[in-house]
Amino acid sequence: MNDEIRAFFVALPSRGRAMLPPRVRGTLRVDLVNHGSTDHWYVDLTASDQVVVNRDVVAADAVLTTTPAVFARLVRGESPATAVLLRNEATLAGDARLILAFRRYFPPAAGTVDPRESARRRSPHGQAWRERRRAGTS
Amino acid sequence: MAIRKSISILDGNTFLVCDDRGDVDPSPSVPTGLFSYDTRFLSTWRLSVNGERLHALSVDDIRYYESRFFLVPGEPTHYVDATVSVIRDRSIGGSFTEELSVLNHTDAEMIMTVRIDMGADFADIFEIKNPQAKKAPVQAIVEEGRLRLRYRRDHFHRETVISSSAPAQVDAEGMTFEVRVPPQSEWQTRLQVRTLVLGAHERDFRDSMRLRQARSPDELDEQLRRWTAAAPRLKCDNASMATAYRQSLVDLAALRYTSITMAEELVAAGLPWFMTVFGRDSIFTCLQALPFTPQLVPATIGTLAYGQGSRVDDFRDEEPGKILHELRYGESAGFEEQPHSPYYGASDTTPLFVVLLDEYERWTGDDTLVRAYEFEARAALDWVDTHGDLLGTGYIWYETRNPDSGLVNQCWKDSPDSISYRDGRLPPFPRATCEQQAYAYDAKIRGARLARLFWNDPAYADRLEREAADLKARFNEEFWIADGEYYALALDAEGGQVDALSSNIGHLLWSGIVEESRAGRVAELLLSERLFSGWGVRTLATDCARYNPLGYHVGTVWPFDNSIIAWGLWRYGYRREAATICQASFDAAEYFHGRLPEAFAGYPRARTTYPVEYPTACSPQAWSAGTPLLLLRVILGLQPHDGHLIIDPALPPGLGRVELLDIPGRWGRIDALGRSRTTTDGSPAESTD
Repeated sequence: MNDEIRAFFVALPSRGRAMLPPRVRGTLRVDLVNHGSTDHWYVDLTASDQVVVNRDVVAADAVLTTTPAVFARLVRGESPATAVLLRNEATLAGDARLILAFRRYFPPAAGTVDPRESARRRSPHGQAWRERRRAGTS
Repeated sequence: MAIRKSISILDGNTFLVCDDRGDVDPSPSVPTGLFSYDTRFLSTWRLSVNGERLHALSVDDIRYYESRFFLVPGEPTHYVDATVSVIRDRSIGGSFTEELSVLNHTDAEMIMTVRIDMGADFADIFEIKNPQAKKAPVQAIVEEGRLRLRYRRDHFHRETVISSSAPAQVDAEGMTFEVRVPPQSEWQTRLQVRTLVLGAHERDFRDSMRLRQARSPDELDEQLRRWTAAAPRLKCDNASMATAYRQSLVDLAALRYTSITMAEELVAAGLPWFMTVFGRDSIFTCLQALPFTPQLVPATIGTLAYGQGSRVDDFRDEEPGKILHELRYGESAGFEEQPHSPYYGASDTTPLFVVLLDEYERWTGDDTLVRAYEFEARAALDWVDTHGDLLGTGYIWYETRNPDSGLVNQCWKDSPDSISYRDGRLPPFPRATCEQQAYAYDAKIRGARLARLFWNDPAYADRLEREAADLKARFNEEFWIADGEYYALALDAEGGQVDALSSNIGHLLWSGIVEESRAGRVAELLLSERLFSGWGVRTLATDCARYNPLGYHVGTVWPFDNSIIAWGLWRYGYRREAATICQASFDAAEYFHGRLPEAFAGYPRARTTYPVEYPTACSPQAWSAGTPLLLLRVILGLQPHDGHLIIDPALPPGLGRVELLDIPGRWGRIDALGRSRTTTDGSPAESTD
C-alpha cells in the first residue's frame, strides 16, 4: 500500500503540469496519519514548468490529511477525493482550489472503459447512418 | 388535517421551512425543518403553552431571512381567549435564532409552562425525496442550558446545538420553561440553533477553511442594501414590472451562498430541493443577470472550473473536460450512495460554460478571467468533440452510465418522459437534443473569439469557426423536419428525427444556429396556439401525444425557458414577438407578487384567467428570479458591442416608460431609456438614448 503511494508521488515530476491549469500555483502538503505517526509529502506547484515532490518541511498553502489506506484508494481511482472529503475520511485546511486541481492526477478506477467504445458498440446505427450520409454527400 | 401554508426563511443554502405557527412537525417525506448543506438539522420544532399548541393570528414575512409570528394558544375553531399571546421573531444568518416572547394581557400574574419540542433526524435531502432509515442513531446530549443533537456515521459528523438565554429544563426531546409572568408584562428567551458540519479536530469545516459563518440580521440587512444599490435602478410606469424587478434582486440575494472552492458568493438553484450548485442553473442565472449583477460570474466560473471532470467515472457520468451538473454536501454524496460528489450528468453545461465566459468578457471587459480559465475552456471545447460526441457523428449525445441513480435525460428537460416523438413514443439512447447542438455551435463561435482576442491562438480560432459552420450546415439539414417545417426535438441513435414540436426551438434562435430563412417560421410557431398559452411558450406543443398542461417538461410554461426564447427572438430581429413573451411573463408575475415560480400550467390563458402554479414548483428559484432581468435586457435591446452598450428598445405596447439607470459594464455606468406607444397596434417603440 505504501509502495503504491510512494510510486504515485515519485512519478509526479515526470507527469509534470500538463494536466493542471497553468494558473494553479502553490504547495500542497499531504499528511498521511497512521497509528500516531504522520508521513508528510510536499507537492510544490509553485513553478510554471515543473512539479517538485519532497519531504522537507516547507510552508504549505493547503494541507490534505488522511490515512495511507484512504489515500491509496485515491491513488487507485477507487473513490474521488471530493467524496472522501465529504464523508470526512480526509480533511482539508487552507486553499481548497489546490486540492481540487491536484485531483486531476488521480486515475480512473481500474477496468474503466471509454464510454464512446461501448456506446458505439451498442448503437452501431449511428455510425452507419453517419457513414451513409457521408457516402451520399461526397 | 388542514393544509397549512408553509413559511420559509433562508440565507443561501441554510433555510427553514415551517408552518404558519412557526412550528416544524416531523415528516420523513416533506422538506420541512432547518436545513444546511443538504442536511436537515431540525426536523421537530414545536411550541406549546400549558400543553396547548398555538395558532397564528398573523405572520409577517419581514425579509427573506427574517419572519415574525403572532400567536395565541388554542385551536382556531375554539373561542380565542386572548389573555396570553406569543410572538416568535426569528432570523437565519448562518445559524437560526428565535426570540420567543410570551405576553400576559391580564391584571394578574400568570404561571405558565412553555415547552418546545426539539429534534433532528439529520436526513439527507435525498432521503426526504425517497424516505429511508438512517444508517446510524441520533444521540441527544443534555448539557447545561443546551441540547446537543449529534449524528455520527463513521467519520461523518453533524451536530445541532440549541441554547437558550433564559434558564431551561433541558431534556433529550426539548426544553421546558416554567415561567412566571407579571401582570401586563412579558417573558422572553432567545433560542439559538447552530448547525455544525464537523471536520478535522471536531472543528466546523468553515472555521478550518476560513469561510464566512453566522451573520446578524443587521449585517444581512446592510449586505442586501449594498447588493440592491449596486444593481441598476429601474423606473417604469408598469407596477408589476417594478415589483418583479425588485423581487428578482431580493431573491437572487437570498439564494447567494459562499462557494467552498472560491470563498466567494454564487447562487443556489432553488428552494427547497436545489439549494446547491447546479452547473446549468448557475450558468443560465448568470447569463440572465449579467447586465445587473455581473459580480456573480467569477465565483460561478471558478467553482465550475475547479470542479471540471478529469477522468472517466461511470457512477458520476464524469468525463475529462465535462462541467458538473450538481454538487451536494450531504451524507448520500459523501458515502457514494448518490453520485453528486459532484455528478456530471448534463451534456449542455460544458458548452454553456464557454458561452458564459465569453458573455462575461463582452459585458465587463474583464479579460483576466478569460485568460485565467483558458485551460478549462479549451478542455470544455475538446469535450464537445470527443467524449461529448458519443457516437462519433458530430453531435453531442447523452446516455447515462449509472442506471440506478443517474439522470436519464441530461438536458434541461431532465424528467424521464421529456424527450418523445410526436406520437408519444420514447426514443432509445443515446439521444442528441437540438438545443445542445445549438449551444455547441455558440460555444465554438464564442471560443473562437476568445482564442483570437485573448489566447493568442488564431489557428485554433479558425478551426473552431470552420467546425461551427460545418455543424450549422449539418444541423440545418438533419434536424429540420421538412413537412412540419420545424426543428426536431432530438435525433435518435439511428439518426431518426424525434419529431415532437417543443420550446427547445426557441433556444436554437438564442444560439444562432438557425438559418436566417427559417427564423420567421420558428418565431411563428413559438407564438402559435400550439406552443403559446398566452402566459408563455409551453415546453411541448398541444398536438403532441404526451402534452399535458401539468406535465413537468411536457406542457407547462417555464419562465426561464421563455426568457431564453425571448432573447433568441431578439437576436433574429423578431422584436414584436419577443415583446409579446415579455409582456406575458410580466403579466404572470403579477399573480405571484412579482416572484415567478419555477413553472406554471400550460392551460390556455383564456381558460384560466390566471396562471396556475405547478404543484411542487421550487420558489424562489434562481433562473426564475433571473427571468425578469433578462426580459428587461431584451425589451431594452441591450447588447455590448466593442467598448460600448447598444440600446435599442422595442417595448410591448401599453407598457409606457422604462428607464434602467446605471447599467454596469466596460463602459462604466450607462442609462437605457425606452417608451412604448400606448396604442396596442404593435407599432414600433420610440426610443431615446
